[in-house]
Amino acid sequence: MPSSLRISTVGVRGIVGPGLKAHHALEFAAAFSVLLNRREPIMIARDPRASSVMLREGIVASLLASGRDVVDLGLASTPVLQHAIQSTNAAGGISIGASHNNAEWNALKFLGSNGTYLSSGEASELLDIYHLRKFDFRDWTQVGRLHFDDEAIERYINDLENVFDFEMLRGLKLVADCSSGLSSLILKRLKERHPIDITMINATLEPKAFAHTPNTNARTVGLQLAPVVQAIGGDMGVLFDMDSDRIAVCCGDGEVVSEEMILPLLAEYQLMRQPGRMIITNLSTTSMVEDVASRYGGTVLRVPVGRQHAMDALAMYPAERIAVAGEGTGAVMLPEFRFVYDGIASLLALASHLRQRGTSLKKLLAGMPSYDMRKAEVSLDAKRIPELMTELEDQWAGAKMDTQDGLRVDIDNGWFHVRVSNTEPVVRVIAEMREGSAEGLMSKLLDMVRSYA
Amino acid sequence: MREHKLKVGVSGVRGVVGEYLTPLLAADFAQAFGAYVGRGRVVLGRDTRFTGPMIEHAVACGLLAAGCEVVRVGVQTTPTMQIYIAETGAVGGIGITASHNPAEYNALKLFNGEGLFFNHYERTELLDLFHQSDFNAATNEEMLGVTVDETTPWKRHINRVLKHVDVERIRQRRFRVALDGVNGAGSELSVWFLEEVLGCDLHAIHVDPSKSFPREAEPKPESLGDLMVLVRAHECDIGFGQDPDGDRLAVCDELGVMLDNNDMLAIAIESALIKAPGDVAVNLTTSNVVEEVAAKHGRRVYRTAVGEANVVDRMRAVKALIGGEGSSGGVIFSGTHLCRDSYTAMALLLDRMASEKIKLSDLDRALPRFFRRSGKVQFAHGKLGGLMLGMEKLYPEAQLERTDGLKLLLEDGWVHLRASNTEPILRVAVESRVESRADQLFSDAMTLLRG
Repeated sequence: MPSSLRISTVGVRGIVGPGLKAHHALEFAAAFSVLLNRREPIMIARDPRASSVMLREGIVASLLASGRDVVDLGLASTPVLQHAIQSTNAAGGISIGASHNNAEWNALKFLGSNGTYLSSGEASELLDIYHLRKFDFRDWTQVGRLHFDDEAIERYINDLENVFDFEMLRGLKLVADCSSGLSSLILKRLKERHPIDITMINATLEPKAFAHTPNTNARTVGLQLAPVVQAIGGDMGVLFDMDSDRIAVCCGDGEVVSEEMILPLLAEYQLMRQPGRMIITNLSTTSMVEDVASRYGGTVLRVPVGRQHAMDALAMYPAERIAVAGEGTGAVMLPEFRFVYDGIASLLALASHLRQRGTSLKKLLAGMPSYDMRKAEVSLDAKRIPELMTELEDQWAGAKMDTQDGLRVDIDNGWFHVRVSNTEPVVRVIAEMREGSAEGLMSKLLDMVRSYA
Repeated sequence: MREHKLKVGVSGVRGVVGEYLTPLLAADFAQAFGAYVGRGRVVLGRDTRFTGPMIEHAVACGLLAAGCEVVRVGVQTTPTMQIYIAETGAVGGIGITASHNPAEYNALKLFNGEGLFFNHYERTELLDLFHQSDFNAATNEEMLGVTVDETTPWKRHINRVLKHVDVERIRQRRFRVALDGVNGAGSELSVWFLEEVLGCDLHAIHVDPSKSFPREAEPKPESLGDLMVLVRAHECDIGFGQDPDGDRLAVCDELGVMLDNNDMLAIAIESALIKAPGDVAVNLTTSNVVEEVAAKHGRRVYRTAVGEANVVDRMRAVKALIGGEGSSGGVIFSGTHLCRDSYTAMALLLDRMASEKIKLSDLDRALPRFFRRSGKVQFAHGKLGGLMLGMEKLYPEAQLERTDGLKLLLEDGWVHLRASNTEPILRVAVESRVESRADQLFSDAMTLLRG
C-alpha cells in the first residue's frame, strides 16, 4: 500500500497507518498551538472515520499539554466547526477528516480565529514550527482542560435561518446522498425544525464501509443518487462529500449536472440579489462565471488554483463587495457564511434560486449556454516544465496571458490553462470553447505537452 | 548531581510532565505497548493527577494507532485496574500514575493480560520494541474504538476483597476510622468502602479527587501528621493513609502513632495466615519480623529482589498466600489478586481487630521487636563495585546474599545495600534486635560509603 503522505500548506493528509501516523496528529497539534498567539480555547471536530478517533486523541493530548483548553464538537462537519469558531471567541480549530477521499485516508485541516483556513503565510509558518519541532509543552499546573459542545449544529442551523427563508422552500422535493458522512446530522435537524422535504440516502455515519467514494463528481452522482431522484420524482438531487463542504447535483429526471455549473448557478443567485459584486474563482474554472458577472454588472477575479489563494484574495476585499467565491469542483463560499466552503448553504442557496426563478433546475440550465470543457493530465519530468511553458508562450504570443499559476491563455471563443499540480507530479491541461468543440485545441495542447514527457 | 526528570526504562516511562514527559513520548510508548500485547482490549485508567487526562488521551492515541481497542475506566486505583484486566479478558492495561511520586510527575504502569505488572522479561522485550520504533500502525480498516466502563471495575474489586473477611462481624463493631485519601484515585471508593460496606464511623480528610495532593504523596509517618491528629481528635480505633493510586497503605494506631510499615505488613500477614494456610514472599529489605510471624504458623518466607513485580513473580511461582514489601506499605494477598492493594489490607486489619476484639496498638506490641535504620548515599558511576567490596571486607564473617545489591547477614542483624533503579543513589538498610547494634551497623556502613 502506498504511504501517500502529503504535508503542505493545505494541511496534512495521508493513508492512515503507512502514511499518516499518530505522531503527525500530536506534532501538528503542538505546532498549531505555538502558531496561535491568542490563548482562547481551540475547537476540534471529526468525521466518522475510525481513524479520526485516534487522531482526535493525539490532538487533544498535545493541545492540553500545550496549556490549551479544548472544545470538542465531536462528530461535526468542517463548515459547522468553522461556524462555531466564528461565533465564539475560539483561537482556532482543527478539523479531522478527509472529506472526499476514501475511508483509508484521513487529514487535518487548520482553521484560524475567524474560522477560515489559514492564509499562505500562516500555513507556511505552521510548517516551519512543525519541522523545527520546538513545541511549548507546559508544566503540570498549566495543562488545559477538555470541554464538549453538543450544540454547535443547533447554533449553525440558527444562523442558516437568518440567511435563508425556509418557508419559501416548502413543497420542493429534494433528495440528498449523504455519502455516509456528516451532512446527515445537519439535514436530520433541519427536517425536524422546518417543513422541508428532503429524502436522505446513505445517511448512516460509517467508520469504515462508506456507501461509495465520497467524491462530488458526476460519476458518483450517477451511481445511486440520480436513479433515486428519478424514481421518486424529486426536483433536485444533491450529493455531499464526507464533511459536507461541497456538493454535486442532478436534475429531477436524474440528469447529472456538471460540477462546473454549481459556481455559475450560485453566482447568478447571489448577483441577482446583490448586483455589481465580485466573483472570486481560479484560473481553471469555466468562463461562464464571466457571462454571469457581465449580465449583472459584476466582475471576476481569477486567482491561482488552491484553497489558499482564494483565502488570500478574500482577505484583500471587504466582504460586502464579494458575491461568491468558489471552484469548479462544487466547493463554493458565500459571504453570508463568512467565506467557508459550505455544502449545506450551497444546497439551500440553489433551492432558493429555483424558487425565486420559479422554474426547474432542468429549465434553468437549459437557459444557460453550453460550453465544451476538456480536462487532462500528463506526467512530466519537473525539470522540463519551464521549456514547455516557454514554448506555449511563444506559440500564443500576442494572446492575453496570465502567468500566476502556470499559463492561462484567453483566445477567441475560448481559453486554456496549463499548470503543474500542487499535490501530484503531473501537468494539468484544461481547455474550454464557448462555440464548437474544444477537441482540436486540446489535442494540439496535449501533443505539445507530451513532447516534453 | 543530574536531576532525573525523565526515565524511560524497564519499569516503563516516568517523568516530570511538560518538557520531559511529553504527550509525544507517551503516545509512542503506548503504541509500542499496543504492538507488544496485540490487537485486543487494553484497559486504560488513571489516578487523580491534573496531567492524567492529557496523558490518557496521548496513550489512547498510541493504543488505537496500534490497532487495540481502548477500554477507558477513568479514575481507578491500581489494584482495581489490575483485577478488572484479569476478570475481563483484556490483553493488557496501562495505568497513568506516578504512584507515590510528587504531583509534577506522571508515569505509565504497564500490566499484562493477567492484570500483573510486566515481569522483567516482558519489560525488556517491550523496551526493545519501543527503541526499534517500527511498530504496527493500524489502517482505518483495522482500527478499533474506545469503550467506557467507569462503574463496574471498582465493584468487581471490592467484591473480591470481601470474599476473605467477615463483613457482618466488622460492621457490628462499628469501628471509628480515620482516613487520609491524599485526594487520590481511591478517595471516593475508600469513603464508600469504609462507611457503606464496612459500616465504620468514618472521619475522612483529603478525599476530593478534583483537588491536588495536599501532602507528600508517599504514605509514611512524616507525611501523615494530619491523620495522626485526626485519630486523636476523634478517638478513632485506626487510621488509614493511602497513596494516589490506592495500592499502598500506611496505618496509624488508636493512640495516634504510625505503625512501621514492616509491622503493619507483619500484622496483615498473620491475619491472613490465621484464616488460611500458605507461604509468604517479601523483598530482601523487609524486616525479619515477617519470618517470626510465619514461623509461628509453620510457614516459610521467600525473599526476593526489591520491587512489586519481583515479589509477585515469586508469589506466583511458589503459590504463596500473602506477601509484600515492608518498606513501602504494600500488602499483596493472593486471595484478592497478585497486586498491592490497600483495600485488602484495610479489610484484613479490621477483620482481625473484630475477631480478636483487640486494639491495634496491642497487636503491634505483640510483635517481636526489631530496630531498623535506613538512609541513602549518592555515588559516582563506576564506584559502586568498590563500595560493595569495602562492605564485604568490613564484615568478613557475614553470609552474603546478592540477589539484589548486597545483603550481609550477620549473627545479630543484617545490612542491605542496593542501588536505586532510577537515580545514582545507594539505599542502605540495617536491622537488629538490639537498638545500639542497629545504630552501630548503620553508622559504620554510612561512614564507609561516604568515603
